[in-house]
Amino acid sequence: MDLFLEQLLNGIAIGFIYALITSGLALVYGILRILHVAHAAIYALGAYAGLGIYSITGNLFLALIVSMAACSLVGVAIEKFVYFPLLKYPPYVPLIGSIALLLGIEEVLRLVAGPYIHAFPAEIPVPGFHFGPITMSPVLVTVYLVTVIVLFGLWFLSTRTELGLAMRASSQDIQIAGSLGINTSRIISTTFIIGSSTAAVAGILVGIYFNQVYPTMGAVPAYKTLALIVVGGLGSVPGAVLASVLLGISETLLIGYANIPLPRDALAFIAMIAVLMWRPQGLLGRR
Amino acid sequence: MLLEAENLRIAYRDIEAVHGASFHVEEGELVSIIGANGAGKTTILNALMGMTPVKEGAVRYRGLDITGLPSHKRAGMGIRIVPEGARVFPQLTVLENIMTGLYRLRKVTDVPSRLSWIYELFPVLDERSRQLAQTLSGGEQQQLAIARALVSKPRLLLVDEVSMGLMPILVEKVFEVLRYLNREEDLTILLVEQNALASLAISNRAYVLETGVITLEGEAQTLKSDPGVRKAYLGA
Repeated sequence: MDLFLEQLLNGIAIGFIYALITSGLALVYGILRILHVAHAAIYALGAYAGLGIYSITGNLFLALIVSMAACSLVGVAIEKFVYFPLLKYPPYVPLIGSIALLLGIEEVLRLVAGPYIHAFPAEIPVPGFHFGPITMSPVLVTVYLVTVIVLFGLWFLSTRTELGLAMRASSQDIQIAGSLGINTSRIISTTFIIGSSTAAVAGILVGIYFNQVYPTMGAVPAYKTLALIVVGGLGSVPGAVLASVLLGISETLLIGYANIPLPRDALAFIAMIAVLMWRPQGLLGRR
Repeated sequence: MLLEAENLRIAYRDIEAVHGASFHVEEGELVSIIGANGAGKTTILNALMGMTPVKEGAVRYRGLDITGLPSHKRAGMGIRIVPEGARVFPQLTVLENIMTGLYRLRKVTDVPSRLSWIYELFPVLDERSRQLAQTLSGGEQQQLAIARALVSKPRLLLVDEVSMGLMPILVEKVFEVLRYLNREEDLTILLVEQNALASLAISNRAYVLETGVITLEGEAQTLKSDPGVRKAYLGA
C-alpha cells in the first residue's frame, strides 16, 4: 500500500511536470496553429538558465525569475523572427523550422555548457510532508506546490481577466479579434511569454527532481508533449493538462507494477493511437 | 465626410476582386453597396476594417488616411464590423462575446447600462447570455455579432450580408434594428447586401457594385425606380 501511494504521488508529480510543458504548447497551438516543437528546447534552456543563476547566486527564487525572463525572451524571438515570417506557408514549413530550432538550441546548450549531465543540487526552502503512510520529500512537495500555483494562475488568467478573454477570442478567430480592438500581435507575444515562462518553471523543476540537467533533456519531452496535446485535444489547455496527469500516473504505475517490456516513453504514443481511434478530436477537444 | 474610399484596388487570394472603387459615407448616413454574389462587396468591407490589405488607393476616415492601419487601431477609432456569416467566437459564451467588443473600454464605459441597452434590442441574447455561442441558431448568432459590434458605441458600423441565411421575418427584424440605430441613435452605417430590396428600403444612398466596379450610385429612392436596378436586383 505504501509503495503504491508513493508510486502514485510520484506519477502525479511527473504528470504535473508534463502538464507545465504541454499547457504552453497547447496555448501556442491554439493561437498560431503551429506545432511548436522548439518549446521543449525552451524548457531545456530554462533548466540551464535556472541552474546557472542558482550556482552563481544560490538564490532559487532569483534563478526562477531570471530563467522565466530568459525563456520568454527566446520564445518571443522565435515567434517574431521564425514563425511569423513562415505563417503564410503550409503548416509543415513552420514545423520544420521548429524542429531546426530544437536541434539548434540543443547544440548551443551543448557548446556553451558541455555535453555532460550537470547536477542541480538545490536547497529547497520547503519542508517535507508526513501524514500517516504518506511521505513526501521536499522536492516532491515543491513540484506539487509550484504546479498547483502555476496551473491555478493560468486558469485564473484565462477565465477571469480581460487579457484571458482576448487570448481565447484570438485563438478562435484572430482576424475578428483584431477588428474588435484587440492588438493580436501583442496577444501572440503574450502567449509566447506565458508559455515559455511556464516551460522554464518545468525545466527547473525537472532539473531539481531528477538532479539532472543535460543538453538533450528536451528531446523526449519534445515528441511526448506533442502526443499529449493531440490526446488532450489540439489547442485545449485543460485537455493537455488532463492528458499529462493521466500519462504521468499510468507511466509510473505501469512501469512499477506491470513490468511491461515496452520502453516507458512508448506509452504516450500508444495512448495517442488509442484515444484518436476512440475520440479523434482528443479528450477535451472541440470537433 | 466620415469615410471616403478612393480608387480602391483589392486582391483576394492573389486575384484582384475590386478594380478601383470610389465611394463615401457622410456622418449620420445609412449607405448600402448592393451587388450580386462575388461582386467584391465583402472584400471591400474587410479592407475598410483592415482585415484585407489594399493594393492601391486610399481609405480616409474623418480626414485621416487609415489605408495602412491595422484593424485594432481602426476599431479604436470607432469603426466596427458585423462580418459575413456573423463569425461569433464559438467557444465563448454570449456574454463573453459581447464583452470582447468592450476590450480595453470597460473602464470608460458604463457596462451595465450598455448591456441592458443591448439586451433591450436583442432580448434573446439576455436569455442565452451564459450559453456558448456555438449553441445559438444562425439568426441568434447574427444578432450576437451585431451586439458585439454595437456595445462599444461605434461611430461607423460596417454590416456585411446580414440577411444571408436568415428567415424573412428575421431579415425584417434585423433591418428594422439597423434603421432604428441609424435614425434614432445617429449611428452611421455602411451596409453591404445581396438583398437589394430590403437594404434600399432603409438606405439614404446606395452604390451598385458589379464584378469589382461601381456601376451606379445615387439616392436609394432613385435607384429603386431605376429600370436597370429593378431588372437586375429587384426581380421586377
